[in-house]
Amino acid sequence: MTGPATPGGDFAALASDRRFRLLRTRFRRLATTIVGSFLAWYFLYIALSAFARDFMARPALGHINVALLLGILQFASTFLLAWRYSRYARRKLDPISAQLRDEAAERRAERERQERVLAERRRIENWTPRHRRGSHR
Amino acid sequence: MSGRLLTFGLFLIFIVITLVITVWARATTRGADDFYAGGRAFSGPQNGLALAGDYMSAASFLGIAGIIALSGYDGFLYSIGFLVAWLLTLLLVELMRNAGRFTMADVLSYRARRQPAVRTAAAVSTVTVSVFYLLAQMVGAGALVSLLLGIHPGESFLGMSAGAAKVLTIIVVGMMMIFYVTYGGMKGTTWVQIIKAVLLMAGTLVLTLLVLGRFGFNLSEMLGAAARASGRSADFLRPGLRFGKEIDGDPLRTLINKLDFISLALALVLGTAGLPHIVSRFYTVPDARAARTSVNWAIGLVGLFYLMTLALGFGATAVVGQQAITAQDPTGNTAALQLAHSLGEFAGGPVGGDILLAFIGAVAFATILAVVSGLVLASSTSLAHDYFGHVLMLGRPRESQEVAVARFAAFLIGTVAVVLAVVARDLNVAFLVALAFAMAASANLPAIVLSLFWKRFNAAGAVAGIYGGLAGSLLLMALSPVVSGKVDPVTGASLSLLPAGIDFQLFPLENPGLVSIPFGFLCAVAGTLLSREKADPERYDELSVRALTGTGSHQTPRHRR
Repeated sequence: MTGPATPGGDFAALASDRRFRLLRTRFRRLATTIVGSFLAWYFLYIALSAFARDFMARPALGHINVALLLGILQFASTFLLAWRYSRYARRKLDPISAQLRDEAAERRAERERQERVLAERRRIENWTPRHRRGSHR
Repeated sequence: MSGRLLTFGLFLIFIVITLVITVWARATTRGADDFYAGGRAFSGPQNGLALAGDYMSAASFLGIAGIIALSGYDGFLYSIGFLVAWLLTLLLVELMRNAGRFTMADVLSYRARRQPAVRTAAAVSTVTVSVFYLLAQMVGAGALVSLLLGIHPGESFLGMSAGAAKVLTIIVVGMMMIFYVTYGGMKGTTWVQIIKAVLLMAGTLVLTLLVLGRFGFNLSEMLGAAARASGRSADFLRPGLRFGKEIDGDPLRTLINKLDFISLALALVLGTAGLPHIVSRFYTVPDARAARTSVNWAIGLVGLFYLMTLALGFGATAVVGQQAITAQDPTGNTAALQLAHSLGEFAGGPVGGDILLAFIGAVAFATILAVVSGLVLASSTSLAHDYFGHVLMLGRPRESQEVAVARFAAFLIGTVAVVLAVVARDLNVAFLVALAFAMAASANLPAIVLSLFWKRFNAAGAVAGIYGGLAGSLLLMALSPVVSGKVDPVTGASLSLLPAGIDFQLFPLENPGLVSIPFGFLCAVAGTLLSREKADPERYDELSVRALTGTGSHQTPRHRR
């Protein structure tokens, strides 16, 4: 159900890792800034469309009025914010998360290797010549 | 008549190509990863095209062009809301991709002590949102394809009347979508989306260049011509012709209209990230970085497309004229098609007109088919994976069994949608699109956001938030002027869904979002705080670590890399 499982202890260790906390703080700060700014800017624009129509109707460039100009700016700001987010994530978030992920994978691989060795050892220690038994099906 | 046959021929070509792809996809679809997530083997740009394909429905292509053509600037407000919403999706996509497997419910139930309750609620919400959206698209398809083939009331084509053609179209579209989904699963459906997105972008780009070319590539010139042709001069380019109408001497009514507009804007901007058919597309890529890339591609494509709706809409007013548009279809849905016809005629005579009309008609048809398939896939995935797999089979179904159930569920949902669409074929159900967005924002978004970011959140909160948001938006819609009580002041005819005389309208707004979205969040918070269920801080840590780092996320099977 939860896929390739990593034992619980690993998550607790990761969650209290200083680097993970930094990653979480950075993501939350970034997400809050982006959500705050685009929602504020979008609803400012919506409010102007609803309540400041004479302002929106002012001509800006020929037949292009303020409303249309601000509308096109909404497109520009969306592209800009998406680009800024992706650049920040690539530089400041991805390296940390890749490091944590790789370390966790290594730990898991190491643990699995040890378990295999232990299992093999148990198998050898418990080995006894097989006897024929009466019931076989 | 030759144009009609050409349109018909292009439809057939599209159908044949997509059928071949679907049959190929069937041959390479083996397990649940393939059926639900296309083997997680699509690249970021491919999935970005598919996301854009899933998102840009015929309602936005033909609908927005029509609204701009008839009401001017206000139609563009839809375009802006539909695009800006993607920023929220961009912020959530990596977390959802890392923490989930196939559906939204995978993320919502991760920390829940009572998984089945959360899974059931998520499946109910997914199916409800998808079926409403589906119904809007299917009913639209019926009307549209009859128009595309040029069958007007009173005429006949291949011996069919307009009414019969409508029913037949709905049935054929329904059969096609059921076939794509049951046969091709996510792999087939994704390729259908990709082809459709390329066709739609190409078609829109051609129209935009042609129409701007008519005005010397001068946007201002085109807007001026549109304003003159509309007979409303500069008013056509300012807000207020359709949304938030100001009524002289009635400040209360004016305020209600404006609040209604804000309510719509809120649902558009918050709904996208909770649409099930968008969320289930996050899982078709190998990892979170590819998911981010795909959303960035989608933002670029969707943004470009919605910018071009300006040229389509205002261009149609300037070139075709409003009278000609409303004569063909009073809601303006045919504006883009008529624009294609006259631009083609201008460029290459009557033959050019027929060719361009046939091409744009085929694009619209591809758009409808692709979007309805995406919706059927998302809801059948949720029914099979969430309800059958995790509730009925307690999370231990055989994979082959679950996929078989998904195929059956797709057949079932598709059939139900066809029947409902045939019944509702003559109603104006365009409001269902806005309702689907409002439901997604009220029911799904609170549960998603609080699951990811609120430590105290629990199963009771998720269940309360989903059912509360869903019921809230449905109830408000039922009590709104959309359903009953809105009467034309001059003729006395009903402008609501129900005939005049039936009036149980209690809620003044036509869009429930302004009330139902805060209500959904409130239910989620109250449900959490009021229940005696303890939060599980360890599972929360686990979810945050998985979501942010991608540790233990579901990867592409190694042999496919």
